[in-house]
Amino acid sequence: MARETKTVRETKVGTPDRSRRRPRFEGELGSREKTDLDVIGKRQPRLDGPEKVSGRSIFADDVQLPGMLCGKILRSRYAHARILSLDTSKAEALPGVKAVITAKDIGEIDVNGREPVFASDAVTYIGEEIAAVAALDELTAEKALELIEIEYEELPAVMNMRRALKEGAPLVDGKTEGNLWSDDIDNYGEVEPAFETADYIFEEKYEAGVTHNLFAEFHVAVVDFSLPDKLTLYTPTQTSYLMQHALAPAFGLTLSQVQIIHLNTGGAFSGRGSVRPHHYIAILLSRETRRPVKIFATGDEEFLVCRALGENKYKMRMALKKDGTITAFDMEAEMDGGAVGTEVGYFGWMAGLCNSWVFPLEGLRMRRRCVLTNNRPNFLGHGGLMLSTNAAIMQLINTTAKKIDRDPIDLLYQNAIEEGHTGLSGEWFASCGLRECIETVRKASDWDNRYGKLESYHGLGVGIGSMAAGAKGAFRHDTSAVMVRVGEDGIVTVYTGIPDMGQGTHTTMAVIVAEVLGIDPNDMKVIAGDTDLTPIDVGAFAQRGTIQTGNAARNAALDAREQLTVYAAGKLEVDKDDLVFRGGKVYAQNAPDKSMGFEDLVYKTLHGKEGRSVMGRGFYNSPLQFGTTSWSFGAQIAEVKVDPDTGEVQVLKVWVAHDLGRAINPLACEGQIDGQVYSAMSQILYEEVQTDAGLYLNPSRLEYKVPRSYEMPEIDYHLIETIDPFGPFGAKEIGEGIIVVSGGAIAAAVSDALGGEFIGEMPMAPWRVLKHVKRVQRQEAAGRSAA
Amino acid sequence: MLLPDHSYVKAESLEECLKTLRETGEKAKVIAGGTDVIFNMRLKLFQPEVAVSIRGLKDLLQVEELDDGSVRIGAACRLADLIDHPLAGGRYPAFRQSLEAVASTHIRNMGTLGGNICLETRCWYTNNSDQWREGLQGCYKTDSELCHVIKSSTKCHAINNSDTPPALIALGATLTLQKEGAKREVPIAEFYRADGVDFSVLGPGEIVTHVTIPPVSDRQVFIKITPRKGMDFSLGAVAARCDGEGEQISNIIIVLGSLVTAPVVLDKPAQVVLEAGLTDDAIEKAADLVRDELGEVSNLYGRSIYKRQIAIVLVKRALTQLREQ
Ligand SMILES: Cc1cc2nc3c(=O)[nH]c(=O)nc-3n(C[C@H](O)[C@H](O)[C@H](O)COP(=O)(O)OP(=O)(O)OC[C@H]3O[C@@H](n4cnc5c(N)ncnc54)[C@H](O)[C@@H]3O)c2cc1C
Ligand code: SF4
Repeated sequence: MARETKTVRETKVGTPDRSRRRPRFEGELGSREKTDLDVIGKRQPRLDGPEKVSGRSIFADDVQLPGMLCGKILRSRYAHARILSLDTSKAEALPGVKAVITAKDIGEIDVNGREPVFASDAVTYIGEEIAAVAALDELTAEKALELIEIEYEELPAVMNMRRALKEGAPLVDGKTEGNLWSDDIDNYGEVEPAFETADYIFEEKYEAGVTHNLFAEFHVAVVDFSLPDKLTLYTPTQTSYLMQHALAPAFGLTLSQVQIIHLNTGGAFSGRGSVRPHHYIAILLSRETRRPVKIFATGDEEFLVCRALGENKYKMRMALKKDGTITAFDMEAEMDGGAVGTEVGYFGWMAGLCNSWVFPLEGLRMRRRCVLTNNRPNFLGHGGLMLSTNAAIMQLINTTAKKIDRDPIDLLYQNAIEEGHTGLSGEWFASCGLRECIETVRKASDWDNRYGKLESYHGLGVGIGSMAAGAKGAFRHDTSAVMVRVGEDGIVTVYTGIPDMGQGTHTTMAVIVAEVLGIDPNDMKVIAGDTDLTPIDVGAFAQRGTIQTGNAARNAALDAREQLTVYAAGKLEVDKDDLVFRGGKVYAQNAPDKSMGFEDLVYKTLHGKEGRSVMGRGFYNSPLQFGTTSWSFGAQIAEVKVDPDTGEVQVLKVWVAHDLGRAINPLACEGQIDGQVYSAMSQILYEEVQTDAGLYLNPSRLEYKVPRSYEMPEIDYHLIETIDPFGPFGAKEIGEGIIVVSGGAIAAAVSDALGGEFIGEMPMAPWRVLKHVKRVQRQEAAGRSAA
Repeated sequence: MLLPDHSYVKAESLEECLKTLRETGEKAKVIAGGTDVIFNMRLKLFQPEVAVSIRGLKDLLQVEELDDGSVRIGAACRLADLIDHPLAGGRYPAFRQSLEAVASTHIRNMGTLGGNICLETRCWYTNNSDQWREGLQGCYKTDSELCHVIKSSTKCHAINNSDTPPALIALGATLTLQKEGAKREVPIAEFYRADGVDFSVLGPGEIVTHVTIPPVSDRQVFIKITPRKGMDFSLGAVAARCDGEGEQISNIIIVLGSLVTAPVVLDKPAQVVLEAGLTDDAIEKAADLVRDELGEVSNLYGRSIYKRQIAIVLVKRALTQLREQ
């Protein structure tokens, strides 16, 4: 796997023709009417709620297979070292040990074509896999690890981006020419002219620290590969589909020979999107021992294996006209990719785009440099890089407004795009309630009477943002398929491949199907997450669940309904297009007394002459070649209080207005808002992996600080429905659109509490905030004495 | 993280317990509520051959008022039970505040007062698993002659991070220590040593059996600052008490906790407010002196500069609250 560093890649896209209203779509758009719905829009508790809270839900670690062994991984303790010798003989001799494997035992297999399963000649980060054992029990496996003897020769390591990019810096893995992994520049529209003709240019720097995703469910893989033609893997994931596609070729199997079962997934936050070394290792151990193997991460190991956000540094430049029009952004990001080059750069691109397309810009330039270091390979966290980018931009806009004597909310409103706008990178916004969102939170929070008039060390901040619902082209394809089986007793089962990591998507699918068939979602079942059983679905990321899988569910339900209308139309003697499915009944549109019960209809359809068993099938694929059809928009206002003695920040209240297209299930939507406001607050104010030369100093749930329910602010929810023409019943997304904006609003509020001081560090931990408080106090004192 | 192999002895009586402790010597470890000791065993910081449980020892479970009005509390009493006990939390407000400040409801339901007083000192190095620690060399507390936290140090700087000791020191409490055949009383103010490894005067086979708090006035306070509410060790804590009326006070004791290896009794700041009274000026001046008395504050959890600032804020807040009482 020789690597080469990439040279600068620069693209230039001109300003799109904004005169055409619908530049990229052919064919009909969906109906925009707010049709009279029965099930959708009601507060539907999660179908699996009782099971979850009573502890009956099964997670991967609950799986016990006959003869299962315990697998454990020996990890590097050095950030960079040569492996001089590796002796596993003592471990192999330990009674109870069934296999010990290292790089030399596994042939050509690597992880996603990018990194080795086991380090062979050198280790390049702390936690890198070196060897693994499978034993009868955990204690024996632990002992066996201790018996593996390794001789290292420590090599110079680069632990931060500044050092990594220095001339003559040690190379992270010796395979590249330098430590710069990628350097991409994208220009949209007219960047230079916008800056040249600007009346104001404001610039700030912002740095975000290393985080951990803190999943409720640790990393775990249970594998049965005891027979050569069948590989079964139980693991929490956002995509069983992509895992299947990665593993089948790696182990010389067909897709159908690989079964991925994801059961329940205890949190993902963009961190469970691909196959990781521990999955491969569990498979290899199972193949070697011909027995099922379970590998699960222990407390601090969890911090080593998690691939979350690394250090990210931004430089933001913004061009404005005198009247407050924002004309251009120039954003530079430096991203610590860790020891294995990653696609973090791509996500930096997404982050820059989605936080700037809310403005009708003339120009946008984004540079993203992804740097290799001897840190843990980095990937994503909740809100990805979009959260920190939004926190930087919104702080920049809120502080700029103060400087040019404008109200930030006016400035945002003035610059907010509207429906029908075409973005610089070509996206066309078929529905957009951004201005309505801004107006809503402005009114709800009584902004006009409160902004700038709060007591000292209290602050209000406003943020806006947007999120793509689905991103065709980012994965192999974007098709989701769903099956709807109508049982003999009238109970409907939905089969879907999309994982529910807590976001409630399975209930959403049930609600959509229930709406079409006119039944009660509480009577339904959802079968999910077993590639042997459920139809194709790329997975739960990029906010594609509701729009892609939701449309597939709608189509599958329509198919089932169509099959049911055959009997009903004959029996009720009405045209099948005049039939209404609602409230557990089927009746004629104009003669509601001509009706029959849903269950009765199902029974008679099966037991009638045709003998039809009803099974609906549906799939959905975005009408675009590439990209997204629908975007959510949102505005939020946060109110915070800073303790000037200790620097502690308390978020008092957050007003949220989110244009999600349609609220399929308002209860779940509010749950999404709660979770994302929480997580944004957590990342903006608390979360930080503290490191010393690559070693994590706080790898535990006690010391990696996240807030608890006590810290939760009051939330004021406003779900704005713009009924998108593409989404199922007009729905777009509420999966990540909230967290991004909460981040911006909270960061801006802290800055406002300190009189507009830009706080360029994330998390805004008490000791950092206190430094800013002292600075502001010194400035004030100097100002007073000068006066 | 599995527990190391060990045997478990649940003593039936205090005598039997003390005998077992003498016989097993260094190989034994006392377990009370177990909320900390079990955790440290999982981390392989402690690998005792014998775990001697003192939970349920009747002698250590009583709370009683003595003839002189003092209250004697058994060391095995659970923190949760003491909070609302009329003779414990009910009588001493600062003690109550410190009990309530410990960890979470679950931990207070298990953790004992003796365990809180004898809590192992903490630092980021030893509070991680043995596998994690292997990435670095050992330290004074494990098996080497060095400290990772203060690199130049000749001793261990792990902090005393427990919440009741500052309050108990401010209240003038005394500990009863017992080993087989011997019993002694030690003021809790003299119990701790400025060394993270050998952090108390407890001798081999000796345990804390009782805590005795004398009758004191109600002018007392305990405050702790944590990164988040409901479950966290202190970034810094303060306890203070005094006699007298309004700004005019006598017998003041101010104690800082969770900043260094042992709770720190602040003499000079106390002297300032004793002489000048609890005026704004004096409080300000007293707080300014905290810096000098604290000695070396390491960055054990949280930056040292920040912790110094916290200490000053704590003292100011405590004195201001005392004035209002
Ligand atoms: C998540 C978490 C959060 C925590 N937060 C806090 C906090 O905020 N504040 C705080 O103060 N503590 C905290 N603790 C630490 C601990 O739980 C409490 O201090 C508790 O009171 C310890 O009591 P225990 O009975 O469980 O002690 P144990 O764990 O049983 O013992 C602790 C130590 O004291 C020794 N010991 C116990 N009893 C005696 C005795 N009678 N004589 C001599 N030695 C004895 C043991 O040998 C051991 O070394 C926390 C712990 C956890 C796990
Ligand atoms: S403070 Fe004590 S326990 Fe921590 S590293 Fe130093 S010597 Fe070891």
